[in-house]
Amino acid sequence: MKQRALWSAAVVLGLALASGCGSATAPGTSGSSGDKLVVWDWKSGDANVAAYLDKAKADFAKSHPDREVEFVAQPFDQYYTLLGAAIQANKGPDVMLFNGGGQLRDRVDALLPLDDHLAQDKQRLAGWDAFTKDGKTYAAPVTLQGHPLYYNKALYAQAGLNAEAPAKTWDDFVENCGVITEKTGAKCFGVGNKEGIGIQFFLSSIGSAVLTPQEYDDWIAGKRNWASPDVKRIFELWKQVNDSGLNNDGANSTAMFNDAFAVFQSGKAAHIIGLMSDIGHWKDFAEFLDADKVGVMGAPVVNPAATPSLPYDGGIGYAVAKWTKDPKVAADLVRSLTSSEALKAFYADAGAIASDTTIDVSEAGPAVATITAGIKTGKPALHVALSSKTIDLMGRLSQQLISGSVTVDEAVAQLADSDKAS
Amino acid sequence: MVAERNEVEAVAGTTARRPGRPATRRNRRGSRAERLAPFVLLAPAVLIIVVLRLWPLLLGVNFSFTGDGDRNGVPVGFDNYLTLFGDPLFRTALRNVGLLVLLLPVAVAIPGLLATFIYLRVPGHRVYRGVYFFPAVLSPVIVGAIFTLLLAYDGPLNTLLGGVGLGPVDWLGDPDVAIFAVVGVHVWATFGMALVVFLAGFAALDPSLLDAAKVDGASLPQTIRHVIVPALTRTIQFVFVTTMIGMLTSMFGLLFVMTGGGPEGSTYLPEYYIWVQQGQFNQPALASAAATALFLIMLVVGLAQIAVLRRAGRED
Repeated sequence: MKQRALWSAAVVLGLALASGCGSATAPGTSGSSGDKLVVWDWKSGDANVAAYLDKAKADFAKSHPDREVEFVAQPFDQYYTLLGAAIQANKGPDVMLFNGGGQLRDRVDALLPLDDHLAQDKQRLAGWDAFTKDGKTYAAPVTLQGHPLYYNKALYAQAGLNAEAPAKTWDDFVENCGVITEKTGAKCFGVGNKEGIGIQFFLSSIGSAVLTPQEYDDWIAGKRNWASPDVKRIFELWKQVNDSGLNNDGANSTAMFNDAFAVFQSGKAAHIIGLMSDIGHWKDFAEFLDADKVGVMGAPVVNPAATPSLPYDGGIGYAVAKWTKDPKVAADLVRSLTSSEALKAFYADAGAIASDTTIDVSEAGPAVATITAGIKTGKPALHVALSSKTIDLMGRLSQQLISGSVTVDEAVAQLADSDKAS
Repeated sequence: MVAERNEVEAVAGTTARRPGRPATRRNRRGSRAERLAPFVLLAPAVLIIVVLRLWPLLLGVNFSFTGDGDRNGVPVGFDNYLTLFGDPLFRTALRNVGLLVLLLPVAVAIPGLLATFIYLRVPGHRVYRGVYFFPAVLSPVIVGAIFTLLLAYDGPLNTLLGGVGLGPVDWLGDPDVAIFAVVGVHVWATFGMALVVFLAGFAALDPSLLDAAKVDGASLPQTIRHVIVPALTRTIQFVFVTTMIGMLTSMFGLLFVMTGGGPEGSTYLPEYYIWVQQGQFNQPALASAAATALFLIMLVVGLAQIAVLRRAGRED
């Protein structure tokens, strides 16, 4: 009896203790130690970035031959949770990969401002804004992410239109779409708004053709005037485009990733607002449509006072933790990770628009050439400036606009409230 | 079911007799250990429930009265609950719970009817018995992915409808239709389990009753109404309870894959709302408030069902 009682007690104690363990976070295991630099990311496990990392490591070894660098690939869906635990414990990787925008800005307290170390790269690289907070730069951009308007040149040719001279104004654009649909049966836009992502891409891509440059810059700076007729015009267009049958059928039940892209790739739609890096971009489209047949056009002008520009932001970039032992060395590693040679390999293998504007992209087809040409004059994307709550609301409202259960005025008013609250 | 109950009673009888053993047989030295024994033996179960269930539950409820973001850890009273009930999305989620309760009879009737047909040996009943159970072994993610394809606007179902001259329906894109589509898929994916329970109930049904009904010239609807349903009352109640729990707690996978809460937020359920607030908007305290609300709903529904079951039990 006593034996059994003891055993039960032991089992209970074991269970009670075990219940406290098993958390997903174990930051101590791969933290920095001694002379070794530890880098956290979610990419280094992929085969298509192997060449990029080799180039970066070689570049770093030139200036610091005795320093060892360890890349630790974390699962992306847990990345910021793990990083949060490391930050809480004030120890972890020396250098870490970040998505541009909110993810980085929320955590700048744990990061080292890099302006002094990266001054020489400021001209060569683009996309710094996404890694900047209160005038200080916290990471060096590796890729750029944005929303070019892609079009299928084969469909243009089939419809008897000049594929090399796409429409410059909205009215011409709609007219061309009519011709294409009549001649080829293809819709004007491939769009997926099941997750409410369609409106994000639409807002950012068409926005620069509707808002005046002043309105655009104010929007990015946080002074958003939702009552302005131009802002309303964007949402009116969103509704109009769908009501007049320019979108593929069932936009609200089509997923952007990847059903809408499939609509474009299979030639069922002549245009799509896609991405620049990683997925739903020139490299994916070229696999189906042939690189020469994928074109990129500027947003057709809706408002004569607007100047269309390429909407893009820094995609991913490397930052340095404030607890690193030797900030200079860590910053040098960041510079190596954004060196021209390394980024060239990233662009070629992973199919991303790299942040380095000096990379020669002439072999990748006309789409990439047009995108890189637009980077100099490009501006941050409109939807990236909104809070995640407002974006979520915008997704739902955009679906309601399509189904007709909300008016543009009501939608814009709700968005204004949400934007003010956050 | 009846046999099972008798067994339970028999077991209960033996345990009940044990304390009735003559007290004189207890010697003094053994008595202390024996007095402690029940507590020690119960301890693992009690501790697991208290430490891993009740304590986290209390922490969660407590947490729901604190703030998010800048007000992290600060007591905010009922603020989170006010936010919750002011949020049209959460109200939609609650409305959808009501809808699920209303749809419950349909979800129970389908496996019930099919089990009846199998029991009455319609041609091919052996095949159906196996086929009907198939979906129950598929993960909701796979089921969701399959039906997302089938129900797509340009998908096979709409092509089929178009073939017979019916206009396409945006199954997952129309806010008035989507929730029914998802519930329908959920019923399709899970009715196999209820079917098996019904078949088990039929196994205990006295066949002479059916023979008697046949001799008396009862039609099929009459047989179902007057013989099968009364004989299966307890089975039906059991299926009601398990189906309700299944609908309220395990539709997340389907929602995530098929609609993502959309279109227009029309397919939100409380558990999906909790996930969005916690995982997407980083508002764990608000999510805790929603979880507490869901817990209360489940408690009310559960207690109501226990009451119904108890009353039905007395009738026997």
